[in-house]
Amino acid sequence: MYVLSYIVRRVASIIPVLIGISILIFLIMQVIPGDIVSILLGTEATPELKEQMREEFGYNLPLYQQYWNWISGVVVGDFGHSLRTGAAVLPEILSRFTLTLELTIFASVIAWIISIPLGVIAAVRRNKGSDIGIRVISLLGVSVPNFALATIIILVLSLQFNYFPPVGYVGLFEDPIRNLERLLIPALVLGASMAGSIMRMTRSSVLEVLEQDYIRTARAKGIREHFVIYRHAFRNALIPVLTVIGMQIGFLLGGTVIVEQIFSLPGLGQYVLTGIMQRDIPVVQGSILFIASMFVFVNLLVDILYGFLNPRISYD
Amino acid sequence: MKKKLLITVTAILMMVFTACSSGKDDSTSNKGGENAGSGETTLLIAADQDPSGLDPHTTTAHSSHRIMGKIYEGLLDLDEDRNFVGQLAEDWEQVDDTTYTFKLRENVIFHNGREMTADDVKYSFERILDPDTGAISRSYFDVVEEINVLDTYEIEFKLSKPYAPFLSYVASGANAAIIPEEEVEEHGNLDQVAVGTGPFKFEEMVPDTHVKLKKNEDYYIEGKPVIEELHYLTIVDESSRLAAIRTGEVHLTTVTPDSVSLVENDDNLNVITYDALEYSYLGFNVTRDKLDDQKVREAISLAIDRQEIIDTVMNGEAELSGPVPPSFGDWPIDVADLDMYKPDVEKAKSLLSEAGAEGLELEMGVPSTEALLVSSAQIIEQQLANVGIQAKIVQLEWGEYIDAWNENKYDMLVGLNGPGRDPDRSLGFFFSSEGSANVWGYESEEYDALIEDGLVESDEDKRKEIYDEAQEYIINDAPNLFIYMPKSYIVVRENISDYNPVPHNTEDFLDITID
Repeated sequence: MYVLSYIVRRVASIIPVLIGISILIFLIMQVIPGDIVSILLGTEATPELKEQMREEFGYNLPLYQQYWNWISGVVVGDFGHSLRTGAAVLPEILSRFTLTLELTIFASVIAWIISIPLGVIAAVRRNKGSDIGIRVISLLGVSVPNFALATIIILVLSLQFNYFPPVGYVGLFEDPIRNLERLLIPALVLGASMAGSIMRMTRSSVLEVLEQDYIRTARAKGIREHFVIYRHAFRNALIPVLTVIGMQIGFLLGGTVIVEQIFSLPGLGQYVLTGIMQRDIPVVQGSILFIASMFVFVNLLVDILYGFLNPRISYD
Repeated sequence: MKKKLLITVTAILMMVFTACSSGKDDSTSNKGGENAGSGETTLLIAADQDPSGLDPHTTTAHSSHRIMGKIYEGLLDLDEDRNFVGQLAEDWEQVDDTTYTFKLRENVIFHNGREMTADDVKYSFERILDPDTGAISRSYFDVVEEINVLDTYEIEFKLSKPYAPFLSYVASGANAAIIPEEEVEEHGNLDQVAVGTGPFKFEEMVPDTHVKLKKNEDYYIEGKPVIEELHYLTIVDESSRLAAIRTGEVHLTTVTPDSVSLVENDDNLNVITYDALEYSYLGFNVTRDKLDDQKVREAISLAIDRQEIIDTVMNGEAELSGPVPPSFGDWPIDVADLDMYKPDVEKAKSLLSEAGAEGLELEMGVPSTEALLVSSAQIIEQQLANVGIQAKIVQLEWGEYIDAWNENKYDMLVGLNGPGRDPDRSLGFFFSSEGSANVWGYESEEYDALIEDGLVESDEDKRKEIYDEAQEYIINDAPNLFIYMPKSYIVVRENISDYNPVPHNTEDFLDITID
């Protein structure tokens, strides 16, 4: 019951945040130099042509009216049309989000499978050989930039194995095998860098918990060691790890520009980037608002999960 | 615990292994897989950018034009020597100074199944001229006063005054395309649909993924095009494009000069080189103090060693260029022997002291996205330092750069320009006082008079003399310094034949075959 009212209150508090974000992103798009009319027309821009396009795009209206026109559409699910291609924004965001979501889940699962067990092992065997080995791996994961890893993988696969991941994206339900083949390497690349920081966080968090009095008590009671670690230490140690995971997922849901670009994946990041470069205002505003909502939503989810991991955290 | 870990690790390894091996199977099956049935009759092109809409009359992006050029056709086209050839027009005639008639090809079928007639030509040009369309080429056809349908296959254009570039603009590709009215009526515009008369039909567009075109079975040239399908696959990252062509995932891709050395020794690939239809320049804001003095601009021209820029930035693979690049048929003049192109540091210094402009400090804007232009700017900066000019490079993001260009915000700008379809475009458009791309603040009555003459002179030889003089004039008066004409590089798989790009029509896929 408490949880439910907590969720309702949190969701309600999200609304002003989103309104704030929408105003902010709207203003930023107004302030940055360069406008789509000049970019679209290039050297072909005659004053009449520019004026006419501005009018068509509604740029001659006062700012508050431009904002109102946009946001009143957004509320009813009409995010407007791309000024560059004329395609509707929301369906485009949703179709790209499916890819981004799939990639995020795929990458996260890979990262968790690798990092959490290794992080626990490193903590339990603190300062032994395996700990040092794992720490080196995690440091590599954190510090090798994913564009470098992605390029290296593509080069090695194409030059040594004459293999190039199939071009273009096929939905998971259309052709699952081809879809997974397409996403495996990008997910590995993203997962590797996620895994690095989760591993480090898991290790230090488990170490901290292992120093606690209740662990000593548990050991003193004669509970078997792996029971101590998994039943008593691990669950409590997961809270900071969950925070990191939540942040990472939030970031990934916003699209991963570089990895998408290198692997030619039509994800959200690519969409926003092109939108920004071309000053395609409805595209940028719509997608940023969408991404921000996702971020806020994932944060909410993490907060709720805290309670399940540690019932002492209250929702008041 | 150990057991569990072992199982997890094994599971991951198995996943990776199966994926890689299934990958291999699929990459071979891919060529016949996704394109099953078409075998090797589907040409796969790696495109570095997604198209920005497909409306032929309003779209400027190159990424759109390379696709629209396959779907749409105009009345005229240019052959490899830049002579006019009929496309939808079979024959044409200039009746008097201001009247042109075109006889249309018969039995040309739009991709929606209807025959193209003179009414469609009239509609298309009226759409271009309608201010509400926002057509790019509207300013090209400002002089058109009347369009008369003479019969089903004959049409007449009456101009308000003699206008020599008229036919060049009729031959400006998709921007003067003939389109069917009913499609515009149905869809409002042609951004998301494409119905023309060209050799390929629009099939499907998935943003940031691909555009698929299919052979037009009713195309009026018997047996053409040879290939059945044309797929443009968007691969933004250059190293990924290279990997894709190396492994045979695509048949054709453009590459930057830097990457040529990576593929030229690959036996499976051929690098095709041709002159680009553009030139790089250093433009001056001639309304600013000191830069309004021709002597200062001449001094800068003499301080710059253009060949050094070509040798270092372009690995020697570029040619000196004037305002009309050497790739523009018979129109360009030979610039190599002109005094303005001969570096002379001493003379530059003395010109600067005559003008009282020693120790000049200038800001030079350059688009940060164009690596070759940034490198050029860096060399120019050093060369100008030799004559005591301090040039400060300001790297600008693309949108900011376009703004800076439009509003003439810096003392100097480094950029690339194209000569357009007609020499009037290369010379009048960028430098006459009324030219809509004259952002430099440049004004010269003498030059304007030459441009006016060029516009109305219908005798080709006399017209060429006028533009020769205009080129020399603008090089000497130097509102811009023209630097080099780059080359373009296309990499194709060795099984591609009969592909011969020319500067103004890089992709004529009528003859291309895949062995």
